[in-house]
Amino acid sequence: MNPASPRASLAIGATLVGGIVLLALTSLAGVFDDALAIDVGRRLLAPGAEHWFGTDALGRDVLALIASGACTSLWVALAAVLVGVVVGVPLGLVGAARGGLPDEIVARTGDLVFAFPSLLLAVLLSAALGPGALTAVVAIGVFNVPVFARLVRGKALSLMTRDFVLAARLSGRGRTAIALEHLLPNVAVLVIVQATIQLSLAIVAEAGLSYVGLGVQPPAASWGRMLNDAQTLVGQAPWLAAFPGLALALTVLGLNLLGDALGARFATHRSGEAP
Amino acid sequence: MSAARGRALRRLLAAFAVAAAIYVQPARVLGAAPAGSITLGLALEPPNLDPTATSAEATQDVVYGNVFEGLTRITEDGRVAPALADSWTVGDDGLRYRFHLRAGVHFHDGAPFSAADVRFSLDRARAPGSANPLHDLLGAVREVRVVDERTLDIELERPVAELLTYLGWGNLVILSPASAAQAATAPIGTGPFRFVAWRKGDAIVLARNSAYWGTPARLGRVTFRIVADASSALAALLAGDVDGYSNFPAPESVAALSRDPRFTVAVGSTEGETLLAINNARAPFNDVRVRRALAHAIDRRAIITGAMYGHGQPIGSHFPPHDPAYVDLTGRYPFDPAAARALLREAGYPKGFAVTLRLPPPYYARRSGEIIASELGAIGIRVRIENVEWAQWLEQVFKNRDFDLTVVSHTEPMDYDIYARPGYYFGYHSATYDARLAELSRTRDEAARMRLLGDLQRQLADDCVNVFLFELPKLGVWRRDLHGLWRESPVQGINVSAAWLDAPTASGPGTPAGRTGALVLAGTGIVMLGLAGFALRRHVGARYLAGRGVSLLLTMLAASIVIFVLVSVLPGDPAAYMMGLSARPDAIARLRAEYGLDVPAWRQYVDWIGGLVHGNLGTSYTYRVPVAELVGDRLAVSLPLALVSLALSIVLALPIALAAAARPGGLRDRVLMGIAQVGLALPNFWLGLLLILVFAVQLHVLPAGGFPGWDAGTGPALAALLLPAISLALPQACILARVLRAELGGALAEDYARTARAKGLSTWRTLWRHALPNAAIPALTVLGLQFSFLLAGSIIVETVYGLPGLGRLLFQATTQRDLIVVRSVVLLLVATVVIVNVAVELLYAIVDPRLRGRSRH
Repeated sequence: MNPASPRASLAIGATLVGGIVLLALTSLAGVFDDALAIDVGRRLLAPGAEHWFGTDALGRDVLALIASGACTSLWVALAAVLVGVVVGVPLGLVGAARGGLPDEIVARTGDLVFAFPSLLLAVLLSAALGPGALTAVVAIGVFNVPVFARLVRGKALSLMTRDFVLAARLSGRGRTAIALEHLLPNVAVLVIVQATIQLSLAIVAEAGLSYVGLGVQPPAASWGRMLNDAQTLVGQAPWLAAFPGLALALTVLGLNLLGDALGARFATHRSGEAP
Repeated sequence: MSAARGRALRRLLAAFAVAAAIYVQPARVLGAAPAGSITLGLALEPPNLDPTATSAEATQDVVYGNVFEGLTRITEDGRVAPALADSWTVGDDGLRYRFHLRAGVHFHDGAPFSAADVRFSLDRARAPGSANPLHDLLGAVREVRVVDERTLDIELERPVAELLTYLGWGNLVILSPASAAQAATAPIGTGPFRFVAWRKGDAIVLARNSAYWGTPARLGRVTFRIVADASSALAALLAGDVDGYSNFPAPESVAALSRDPRFTVAVGSTEGETLLAINNARAPFNDVRVRRALAHAIDRRAIITGAMYGHGQPIGSHFPPHDPAYVDLTGRYPFDPAAARALLREAGYPKGFAVTLRLPPPYYARRSGEIIASELGAIGIRVRIENVEWAQWLEQVFKNRDFDLTVVSHTEPMDYDIYARPGYYFGYHSATYDARLAELSRTRDEAARMRLLGDLQRQLADDCVNVFLFELPKLGVWRRDLHGLWRESPVQGINVSAAWLDAPTASGPGTPAGRTGALVLAGTGIVMLGLAGFALRRHVGARYLAGRGVSLLLTMLAASIVIFVLVSVLPGDPAAYMMGLSARPDAIARLRAEYGLDVPAWRQYVDWIGGLVHGNLGTSYTYRVPVAELVGDRLAVSLPLALVSLALSIVLALPIALAAAARPGGLRDRVLMGIAQVGLALPNFWLGLLLILVFAVQLHVLPAGGFPGWDAGTGPALAALLLPAISLALPQACILARVLRAELGGALAEDYARTARAKGLSTWRTLWRHALPNAAIPALTVLGLQFSFLLAGSIIVETVYGLPGLGRLLFQATTQRDLIVVRSVVLLLVATVVIVNVAVELLYAIVDPRLRGRSRH
């Protein structure tokens, strides 16, 4: 699907994602703690030797905020996708292995969730649970569940007709055993590839929620909120809008490239991406 | 086959053309805007327009002094002046007031004004169960008596020294008995401006009252445009979408604006004491030493610099610095973290403690809150910040007193009486304070009043009830050629009665867009019917259609239950939100009953669905208009936006995909797909920000936000949609281009394509004639998904550009707890998704006859 060589995609994607992860880890290690402190005396400094990416309206270092925001973005997105995988994959397997009513219920529930525009669901959930990181995880996670359930169900259904599964059934293995021993390993690769793509969607979703004020709350840093704060200062301090957006775009680009490269490597067929 | 398909596509295009013709109706010629029209920005939308039923500042901003007037009025320097009463006498005991009313005054509906209207208004305000914020104070009134048409007596039980001032506030304006009931939505007063229209979520329009009794207004039309997001405020101002702000919500931009020759910046004062409010009733804050420790820990200067960009005067008690009775108590608790820690030790908290700081939405609260949290952290108090919406703040903090700390500005004038109100959210009680306040109310001697007011201020500072931060500034910013707006704000309200423009210019839109909404709905219907007609005529299969119909209905039923449950569990009481800061429980209970919130949940659900079946979406809690009307207005923005974005997305994606697929693996392919890969990664709201920076702030070629309405003409309306459409379309185009490119690549490798090329057909023609039709199905799937996304999911882009679309309606309704709007709009959006999915499936069948009659999963 991707005409660029998978090798190049893999290299660029891994570098970008690795860079962001490294930045997040540096922040976790506490390297930026001083730079994150509020200090009105050094506010709105343009990028320079002291502060590479400048400082924000409360005197916090923008690079430090981006690093700290990377932590937030990554953990919220990872947790949300994990929710999708942990709930969605078993549901998909059960649906495929059992068929009948359970399958129908899983499929129809999935349809229902898909009928809600993703962000809409997030806005409602955020309002119901109150804004915060956990809410963002749940809101984004819920939307990930049917993605994985559908993906796994589709693949597993086609596997059910394959000889090795038939052989296992003939040898008297139960449906649960078949699902665990034969279906799961065979869908794992597909799940990993899809998870990469979902991760990038989740990161954008988290930033979007934070932008409208429903995501991670201060003092925790978030790229989305940085962009919102930057909007009134866009004429005065354009660096405040430029760098967090760039970090966001590069992370998404990295994950997309990584997903494409992994997909191409495992030669799996991925259906058209949802917007 | 190909010919039939071509015909089908042509018909489809024709259907869209019909729809488009309806949207892009020729600009109607409006009566030329009256000379001197202005548009002022408003940060919050009023919950309603009856100033006697709410203390919401936004309501006063729009109608007080403009639409409505009281017996007296407050001048810009805070004095009491005659208004509807041209003179009055006060009895020596301070208990009897006689007012002589102005002659020749008429309400906007032509009804003459007389003493009976005054009695009606005051009796209505003081009636049991009235929601008037001054209700408690009016308890001192024994009787309001009409002497004759032009004379009125007010008799008091006990002296109220401030009565003449209160009569000049928006809460006690005079309404006519004939029109008072509809004041919430269509206010009719005696003022220099009459109400014209309220486009919900967007703007409120007033026009000059040519029959005004006093000096007529010089402006012909004033539009208050709601720019909810502080971020959009600057952009809107710079782009000329608004002519000014009475109080600009982004202090960071004030310095830059005052250097800008296009604008006048007038920084004045308000009556807004901004507090770090403390729950005095809750440990550890019931210990005055802990409260004093907080006061010592907070550096007001840092807050004023950091959060307010230097605007705002520090205060040491609950009193405005510009008042003659002001006592400077800012030195009472100097910034001294060491002293703060010592006080905490003394109170038994050597290691500090953990608290929650609940912050309402205004920028001053959110920004001050972050600094306060960091400063309290320095003395060992671990602060968890919780940002809440107004509805939640009112419920949790104001009503249930469930909070530790909060930051809020109290903007009512003379509101030091709140410290004596039983059950007020500070949890403060002092018999001394109550006694002093009662004495003040009895005292009419100016010197004695000054002394008493000083005592009140000192006591609040000594008891350190709250940490008094700063007086909220009034950051007036408006066009250089606009004059006569108030710098100071001694009373709530944006008085435009004396404003004028140097040179008459036209700005702002005309009349409401309700009709357009209806037309847009009709357009949607036509498109949908067209699609259905196709499907039926071509015998897709009656059973198949019936099956899809049943499944569609079941999905909608399930969705309606999910939505109802989700929406019902939203915390926050819609009635409490509507009533504002000084709501009383009985008034809230009555409103709950009026909303139908006092019946069991299952009953509410049945009523809702029953209404929907009959085509009744219900009536908005907030706006008191049919939800269908609201939705129609918003669809007039969202639907064209979605369609323009979709069209842009196709127009961009198609050539890219074709050019890339023509030579698979070639340099052009790699470069174009690389660009698509990068474009895909650009979040649309960041793109929006960058586009605003370039096209609106730097180049001034396109508006930065807002929507003028279709009645302002197709050109301006489309121009306002262009940047948002680009922001939405670019990432979508990249997705579409990638899908198309992949499908085209696959199709080119198929036998029929090879055959076509072997015949000598060029690559381009092969792509166009053979590969493209076969790539149509995946492309349709993507387009279907995108349309749903564009219609509903553009909440964030609508926020960036301040567009009054469906997404923002939903977002706003959610924060305002307008549950009935939330429910119906969500269901409508879900229905759109489901119907578009079915429509796409039907289109499959049209595009590819092999699929006809086959069930797809």
